[in-house]
Amino acid sequence: MNHHLHPKGSGHTSERGTIISYIIGFALSLILTFVTYYLVDKQSVSGQTLMVTILGFGVLQMLVQIFFFLHLGRGPKPLYNVVFFGATVGIIMVVVGGSIIIVNNLHYNSLAPDQVKKVVDDEAIYQINGHETGACHGQYANHHVSIKYGIITPLHTQAKKCDTLTFLNEDTVSREITFGTHPEHKAYAGDSYVPVRKGLSKTITLSEAGSFKFHDHQQAEVAGDFTVVP
Amino acid sequence: MVKEHVLSHKELHEEAADDRVMFGFWIYLMTDLLIFSVLFATYSVLHTRTLGGAPGSALFSRPLALTETLILLTSSFTCGIGMIMARQRKQAQTLVWFGLTFILGLAFLSLELREFSAFIHEGHTLQTNAFLSSFFVLVGTHGLHITSGLLWMGITLGYIVKRGLNAPLVRKLAMLSLFWHFLDIVWIFIFTIVYMGAYT
Amino acid sequence: MKEFFLGRLNMHALPHEWFSVGGTAGFMGLFILAAIILTRTKRWKWLWNDWLTSVDPKKIGIMYFIVGAFMLVRGGVDAIMIWLQQALSSGSSHGYLTADHFQQIFTAHGNIMVFFVAMAFIFGLINYIVPLQIGARDLASPFMNTLGFWLYIGGVVMVNMFFAFGGEYAATGWLAASPLSSIQFSPGVGVDYWIWSLQISGIGTTLGAINFIMTILKMRAPGMSLWKMPLFTWGSLCSMIMAVIVFPLLTATLFLMFFDRSFGTHFFTTTGGGDPMMYTNLIWMWGHPEVYILMLPAFGVFSEVVTTFSRKSIASYTSNVLGMIGVTLFALSVWLHHFFTMGASADVNAFFGVMTLFIAIPTSVLVFTWIATMRKGRIRYDTPMLWFLGFIATFTIGGIAGLILAVPPADFQLHNSLFLVAHFHSMVIGGVLFGIFAGLNFWFPKFTGFRLNDKIGRYSFYCWITGFCLSFIPMYILGLMGATRRLDHYDGATGWQPLYISMFIGGLVIATGVALQFAQILASYLQKYRLRDETGDPWDGRTLEWAVASRPPYYNFTVIPEVTTRDAFMAMKSAGTVKTVYEDIIIPKNTAAGIYIAIFAFFAGFGFVWHIMWLAFVSIIGAIVVFIIRGFHDDSEYTLTAAEVEKLEKARIAKAKLAVPGKYDHTDEDMGLQQLIGISYTFLIDIVKNKRWRTW
Repeated sequence: MNHHLHPKGSGHTSERGTIISYIIGFALSLILTFVTYYLVDKQSVSGQTLMVTILGFGVLQMLVQIFFFLHLGRGPKPLYNVVFFGATVGIIMVVVGGSIIIVNNLHYNSLAPDQVKKVVDDEAIYQINGHETGACHGQYANHHVSIKYGIITPLHTQAKKCDTLTFLNEDTVSREITFGTHPEHKAYAGDSYVPVRKGLSKTITLSEAGSFKFHDHQQAEVAGDFTVVP
Repeated sequence: MVKEHVLSHKELHEEAADDRVMFGFWIYLMTDLLIFSVLFATYSVLHTRTLGGAPGSALFSRPLALTETLILLTSSFTCGIGMIMARQRKQAQTLVWFGLTFILGLAFLSLELREFSAFIHEGHTLQTNAFLSSFFVLVGTHGLHITSGLLWMGITLGYIVKRGLNAPLVRKLAMLSLFWHFLDIVWIFIFTIVYMGAYT
Repeated sequence: MKEFFLGRLNMHALPHEWFSVGGTAGFMGLFILAAIILTRTKRWKWLWNDWLTSVDPKKIGIMYFIVGAFMLVRGGVDAIMIWLQQALSSGSSHGYLTADHFQQIFTAHGNIMVFFVAMAFIFGLINYIVPLQIGARDLASPFMNTLGFWLYIGGVVMVNMFFAFGGEYAATGWLAASPLSSIQFSPGVGVDYWIWSLQISGIGTTLGAINFIMTILKMRAPGMSLWKMPLFTWGSLCSMIMAVIVFPLLTATLFLMFFDRSFGTHFFTTTGGGDPMMYTNLIWMWGHPEVYILMLPAFGVFSEVVTTFSRKSIASYTSNVLGMIGVTLFALSVWLHHFFTMGASADVNAFFGVMTLFIAIPTSVLVFTWIATMRKGRIRYDTPMLWFLGFIATFTIGGIAGLILAVPPADFQLHNSLFLVAHFHSMVIGGVLFGIFAGLNFWFPKFTGFRLNDKIGRYSFYCWITGFCLSFIPMYILGLMGATRRLDHYDGATGWQPLYISMFIGGLVIATGVALQFAQILASYLQKYRLRDETGDPWDGRTLEWAVASRPPYYNFTVIPEVTTRDAFMAMKSAGTVKTVYEDIIIPKNTAAGIYIAIFAFFAGFGFVWHIMWLAFVSIIGAIVVFIIRGFHDDSEYTLTAAEVEKLEKARIAKAKLAVPGKYDHTDEDMGLQQLIGISYTFLIDIVKNKRWRTW
């Protein structure tokens, strides 16, 4: 049988040789540790370069320990453990590298900034990853704008940021509220168009400060404005 | 004559079993490395998410990390020397060198626990943010491995005192020393990526 | 105080809905019935000594098969329930299940079929066959093997435990889609049951895989180099290597999710900086290769079946092996294709799309080697071969559907549709399960000493393949029509109902196929003298497992064979070098340590599910203590001397000669279905009329 040929354990290597190899490994590891520490302490390079450099020294120290402490590759043949170690290192690179690339890429692409603004305002998400988004949350005052016979009352609304504004359509036609001046519209807080069907109402959150005009897209003379103070 | 044959047969069997067990243990270590790889990946992805809380560079003490590293590295060295003694069946020296390793491991663990308790005391807990979650779990998992290594070492040393240094115990020490070296290798990357990496 | 002792557990957790009451009662009924039978027949001791504490991989393999078959029925009931709901719930009708319950059922169906059925069968086959194929007497670490098996059982119990405590399983899909599975959105215990059933059985899988790698690489018969290894062993080796690589990733990911749910960390949460997309990324790193872990041993089975029944050696051994290695390597670099739509850039998606297309190359190489093996072979169409032919058709259809899904733009249309569901069912039913059934029919004489009934086996195959087409072809069509997966209700105007009904009918036909498989085993048992395998080589086999008797002695080989070529046993038969000399054999002793550790692991998991921390803590300590005791226990083997081996061998041969025909063995051919039904009927009438249950 093939295991008859195996030397008994790895105790056959001479004792002195092994001790010396441990001492060399220990000394090299110490040096590499101090080099890393010194580089970080000194900060003569920084950022990505420093990270890559110290990571390189880390890998080097791993190789030193693998060779001088674990004596990998000096066992009986075939060297399955070397193969397995190499494969594992490869897989680790796939797992760690792949995760970093994929997740960072996903984050970059998840949502465009203006979409994020709209979503956080609509859903009242006031923090993402702990950062304040500036979205409104909690209880604020409500203001009414009524549209009846094509007349807007009140014509001007004064509100604080995060208050809500309700358009009440008491007419017999549907209204399509747009912001800015006709025909060049401007979006308000991500909304460019608020349809209000006859007899119904729609509420928007005033999450953007400033003075704004609004009008019915179908009937541009039906117009008003509101001011939001922060 | 017949009896002698049985003995050699059994010896061959045990030697082959030895080789297999060491190989199996090696594969187990590889699976453990892969568990760590997930934790490293998670740390790499989440370490910037501090929610406005303190980042690593404000929390970690570089000299402490260096001290821990040196202690663990030394323990890896003493463990290796202990293993050379064990292979030559020098029981007293084996006990001394592994005893030294045990003490160094204990010192490492207590430093780490002190670091953790200081963080928690200052309000930087597992639940604070994603950065701290991944930090505590990555470093804590390594600490847990060190703890189980110490437990294993303590029991094995106890058995050596009780039964004398026999072949099965040498095999256990060999596996233990592999485990210990391997924990040191994992620590190199924790030192580099977590502690030193925080300052890049 | 109560919270300390019982955690989240309270009276509301006890069964009170129809399905939890029914499930609990059903399982309790089964256990009580089994207990009564064991007590009446005085077989508790036999069960414990001969089976439960056994370290013999052959017995463990059979136990895997029994539990796997049980779980196949359990998961099959889930499948039928899903299909029935979908067939009914159209337009104004909302079927018979609530939406939440429906979600739990498809989650449980997925977990059970993948973890507790397919994995069980695969491990069963590997346990039984691999040591025999490589000429080994046992495994490298028999203890680790029992531990792996019992941890798997711990997972099986855990996945069914929700019936009795909690009454809810995860409603999150089989991979617990994040952030739906976070404590914020799934506050119940369902996801915790999911975590711990997978965690416990997953650790068992890792241990089993390490053990088989050690065994295959270090314990082959002399002369058997890697390039002379039988193909099933090659498939198993590739599969186990992949398991060793990816199961630790699962373990770590599940632990992170457990921390999120139980200790308030922020790994995959939507708050606190956590990242649910990281979870998706990590879980698919395991999830995709998992399918290949199941597939590769099945590939090996097909190679064995096609060579034996074509009476030829494999068309190109090297291509076949390289094909399997290629699948193993590529399988680790395609995981992103499960979340093309999550929003990675075109270049990242394209890379993984192309890698996914690449994997078709080694797979088709395998298919071509099998087809080329059949060419000019003298093919026998026995049942294993039928399963193989069924596999070629369904697997090719499923594989091509997979190629369509691998193209990111197409995937944006098909993602999460029934087309995808049909694709992976084609792979796991047509590939894995058909492979297992081919293997079962092929190696059954080795397992039991008698062949399986051919006639009923054919009926069962025809039911499976017909049911498969009735279910999954409509499913492909529905997917293309836009039906998303996991729908518990759809609009009547879609016109989908007829196709859903066809799927349900197909499900019933498949269920009939399963029933026929049980009938097949029963009929074969009744005629076991007629079907007995005296030579140990009923199919004119080519590899070493056929060189030993059926059933093999517990030490497998009296003499370890010397291997000189591939298809070692075929070469030995033609050279006539099957020799018998007796030698000492070292045999591992039975151990119950695996059972104790698994029980502790189960209670640790149970404690974590219900937040009973003292129970979890005590159980973990218990498991560690048992492990240490076992670890420092040196007396785990005994020696069987040459004389004892000779005595055992002679006794076995003598016993085989004494075999007499049973009551139903006089017929000239395999028992048909009609006869089996007749016998079962008389048997039942006899029990009822003569009140036999009283005298048991």
